[in-house]
Amino acid sequence: MKKQQLHNNFNVVGKPAIRQDGYSKVTGKAKYADDYRFDGELYGVMIRTKASHALIKKIDYSELNENRFIKAIITADDIPGSKKVGPIKQDQPIFCADKIVTPGDVVAMLVGEDVKELRKLTELVKIDLEELPVLDDPQKALENDSILIHPDFKTNLITHYPLRKGNVEKGFKQCDEIIEQTYTTQLIEHAYIEPECVTAIPGEGNLKVKIIGSIQNPFTTRKVVASVLGYGLNEVEIIQAELGGSFGGKDDTMNILSARAAIAALKLNRPVKIKYEREESIIESYKRHPYILKYKVGFNKDGKLKAMKIDLLADGGAYSSMSSFVTWRSVVQATGPYEIKNVHTDVRVVYTNNPYTGAMRGFGSPQPIFAIESLMDEIAVKVSKTPFEIRKLNGFKQGSLTASGQKLTGHEVTLHKVLKKAVEVSSFDSKWNDYKKASGKKEGAKQSYINDSLILNKNDFINPDQFWRKGIGLALSYRGCSLGAEGIDAAASYVSIQPDGTVYLLSGLAENGQGMKTTFSIIAAEIFGISPDKIVYLEQNTSRIPDSGPTVASRATLMGGGATKNACEELKKRLIKLLVTIWKLKSGKDLVFVNNEIILRSKKSKRIEFGELIKQAYQQGINLATVGWYAGPKVHWEEETGHGSAYFTYVYGCQVAEVTVNIGTGEVYVNNIWAVHDAGKVINILGAEGQVYGGLTQGAGYALWEKISTHNGKIRENNFDQFLIPTSKDIDAIHPYFIEGKEKYGAWGGKSLGEPTLELTAAAIANAICIATGQRFYNLPINIEEMLLRRKLYPESLTRGSTS
Amino acid sequence: MIPVLEIFQPKSVDEICRLLKSNNGDTRIIAGGTDIIPGFHIDSPRFAGIKRLLDLQLVDELKTVSINHQIISIGAAITFSDIITNPVLNSYLPLLVKSSKTIGSTQIRNRATLGGNFINNAPCADSVAPLLVYDAEIKIKSFTSEKIMKLQDFLVKPYATRLNPDEIVTKIMVPVPSTDFVGDFYKLGRRRAVSISRISLAMLMMNEDKIIKEMRIASGAVTPIGTRLYDVEEFAKGKVCNEEAFKEIAIKLGERILAVSGLRWSSEYKIPVVQQVCYQLIKGIERRSL
Repeated sequence: MKKQQLHNNFNVVGKPAIRQDGYSKVTGKAKYADDYRFDGELYGVMIRTKASHALIKKIDYSELNENRFIKAIITADDIPGSKKVGPIKQDQPIFCADKIVTPGDVVAMLVGEDVKELRKLTELVKIDLEELPVLDDPQKALENDSILIHPDFKTNLITHYPLRKGNVEKGFKQCDEIIEQTYTTQLIEHAYIEPECVTAIPGEGNLKVKIIGSIQNPFTTRKVVASVLGYGLNEVEIIQAELGGSFGGKDDTMNILSARAAIAALKLNRPVKIKYEREESIIESYKRHPYILKYKVGFNKDGKLKAMKIDLLADGGAYSSMSSFVTWRSVVQATGPYEIKNVHTDVRVVYTNNPYTGAMRGFGSPQPIFAIESLMDEIAVKVSKTPFEIRKLNGFKQGSLTASGQKLTGHEVTLHKVLKKAVEVSSFDSKWNDYKKASGKKEGAKQSYINDSLILNKNDFINPDQFWRKGIGLALSYRGCSLGAEGIDAAASYVSIQPDGTVYLLSGLAENGQGMKTTFSIIAAEIFGISPDKIVYLEQNTSRIPDSGPTVASRATLMGGGATKNACEELKKRLIKLLVTIWKLKSGKDLVFVNNEIILRSKKSKRIEFGELIKQAYQQGINLATVGWYAGPKVHWEEETGHGSAYFTYVYGCQVAEVTVNIGTGEVYVNNIWAVHDAGKVINILGAEGQVYGGLTQGAGYALWEKISTHNGKIRENNFDQFLIPTSKDIDAIHPYFIEGKEKYGAWGGKSLGEPTLELTAAAIANAICIATGQRFYNLPINIEEMLLRRKLYPESLTRGSTS
Repeated sequence: MIPVLEIFQPKSVDEICRLLKSNNGDTRIIAGGTDIIPGFHIDSPRFAGIKRLLDLQLVDELKTVSINHQIISIGAAITFSDIITNPVLNSYLPLLVKSSKTIGSTQIRNRATLGGNFINNAPCADSVAPLLVYDAEIKIKSFTSEKIMKLQDFLVKPYATRLNPDEIVTKIMVPVPSTDFVGDFYKLGRRRAVSISRISLAMLMMNEDKIIKEMRIASGAVTPIGTRLYDVEEFAKGKVCNEEAFKEIAIKLGERILAVSGLRWSSEYKIPVVQQVCYQLIKGIERRSL
């Protein structure tokens, strides 16, 4: 594969840099949450019920009385502070006291020294339940007679976001063609390789408790733990262990586990660890929202979009979690990156008894992108245009108005650049034409050979030359960077130069495996003109650095990068001021920090080593430590109309997938994916490519394999033998390309990449499958049964042959 | 949970037989462990009550491949990685090698063994269908006896075989197949690696003057256990090699598998697809026979 070279005037930025934590991770030296051991530590084991929805009448622990393995049974009664938590609505109990609303619910925790024994003992707890009807269909959640999951709220509606632009009914009347279509996307698990693990350690002095764990957002965890314990924020310290994957998944669940461990640790005055097995992790942790997406689109004969009516329904499951934020991104981006005068969007998210859903990489975008990018290809067919032409005609340009009425200015709108590049590097148009011709079928015409009888007719057999079909498809998106009008958006970074010229660095954001430590070190190294290996990135600890919000929304590089740059530039200013004095210069504008020294550009012989300058600065008593701060500009949103400048800047991406489909078996082989992204300035090309490889592989899993299904509210796929994620063998060639659009925010305009890489892939693969087979698929994942039968098949029972 | 175990590492088959002599079921042989260890972790009742494991790692005589008087003898504890690189197996038993390549991942193939695959007797055991079309027999030893049995007869039902607690399977014996056979193996999984078979088919065909002289077919995953489909083979025998006949054979196979397996949750997908796959396999083999 040809590697892209980025040409720029930087010394370190944009060059390939090996991640700082890479060596320790691949050699097994890195310390993950379960690698920490503490003297006298105890373990917590959860007690769950067998119900999906029930009132708790009585819990009888009498058989555990005087049991030598049990140090404590922790329940809701042990909670000194908030008994329920949640980022927006406080609807999720730490321990359930009166009601079960989903099978993952926990009523109590047994604490002791022997996990094996504790697990056996959970069977002895007698829970008297009054079962309630199970609501597992989000489409029934808003019916008048529907049972309420949380009766206090008087409705199962978590949030409704309307967006109104122009007059959609008038728009439909004025256009030539209308398509109406319904799409569905599935519930999926993050599938981080490291299941949840956390230890709470009783504090010393005024510090009440210290928590170390597999935590994505240490400051959120601190907030939850402090509120549950009734402590001040400064009495709780959260340390992040090396994180074995998160993808948005180590937030709510980890906050609650941290709180449970902390309650027990303080009650028993001993460290308490909670460590989940995979099955437990899948049963209790939140997932990605399944959506039902109804689209009605009106357009002219030439393909110009006129009006779009969108009705999205998301299943929030039993708790609200991040639902209101996730679905807000959907309402902003539901039309895709296209200019449409008349838009009428409603996004609703509802409670059910299903596993609860929250943040997952993509965060409300993969679902509408699958729908809108499928729809754009359908429109193209109607007006006899190529997928490229239809997007070129309607795509956002500089100054376009989004659905919420935001004018796209202040950054370079590179939508057409990424589209053009993707089409060029993949030879899209010629392949699209060839494969379409070869598949030989009109769109939507050919059905699968499978009919009601299981035994084939002779004319059902496919000629071996026709067995394999090739297809190519593309998908295009724009994505708001960072939190947008969801919340306060600011981050801190601490930089401290040591007397020998080495540097400490720490930001308030967290390393979740995305390579952030390396990214920030590159930024600091670039500014100081030193090598990134002179920088030690410190341990993530909430007591050491200002709260910088959560590490979510692909915001770390943008916000933390900005903060790191600010901090380093502040220190550099102090150094320049000193050097101007020493060298008796008029100004510092000719001073260049490069290759570990500072050079006077006008007089090359005038130079000083970085370390030497630092030594002199220390001798002069100059402060070489500072906290940099970076705050995003103001954005706003009107809840009633869905108007506003949702995000302060956007990124653009286009992916092309080339597949081979076996039309006899429904197998899909992903041969090539070309990913063209404008993430702004690329800080570490190796890290950026890594994001592309990982993100689109995850996106391919969403397209073809991954699905969590439930049976009477219980999860079937509770381990990786049934929840299938792609292996490295499942995607053949991945071709990343970067377009560096002009941007004033962040570090030299470095924006977002993590989520954009994931959100497009399923849509591109679905469009490729359509070209290969002549059939359009509306329901993810497009697994082998969906391909041939247009539905999923499930075993009747949850038990597996191998265990009975 | 892995129970508290005594683990023995015998160095010979004789020693194993001695250790198994009065086994009442609490002693189990462990070869690669790729079924037993995950089974312990999910508290599978199939592995409940085990107190002693006999590890085959050090028994070299169970890992060899030899060829003698037109019989290929394969040690039962040979790993799939070793099968894949073995020159004898590559020249004589290509379907076995092909199926071995589809099993699990590199790490699993490095540990999992041929004997373990059919002794565990999961419906989806990938190496079983090829062994069946090759007419494999197995040698079973105990402290007091030694017997030889056809593999098909050894396999009883899912996760059950005729192996007694005091016995060990030492060898798989396969007659060198006639060079007139052309064959193929197909595995349908949901993904490219670490994939449990949804359907597997192994097929050998011998044609003479455009007439099917002999056909051997065995299925996996789509039947309750790996199964030789003798009815279909009989049906195919003597048919003229043409589209019509191939389709009839595939249909017959579908009917036979449906009769053997009954209607299951997966039948709607598997039964039509296995016929399609069967037809594709025959066509592919025919092309290579020309």
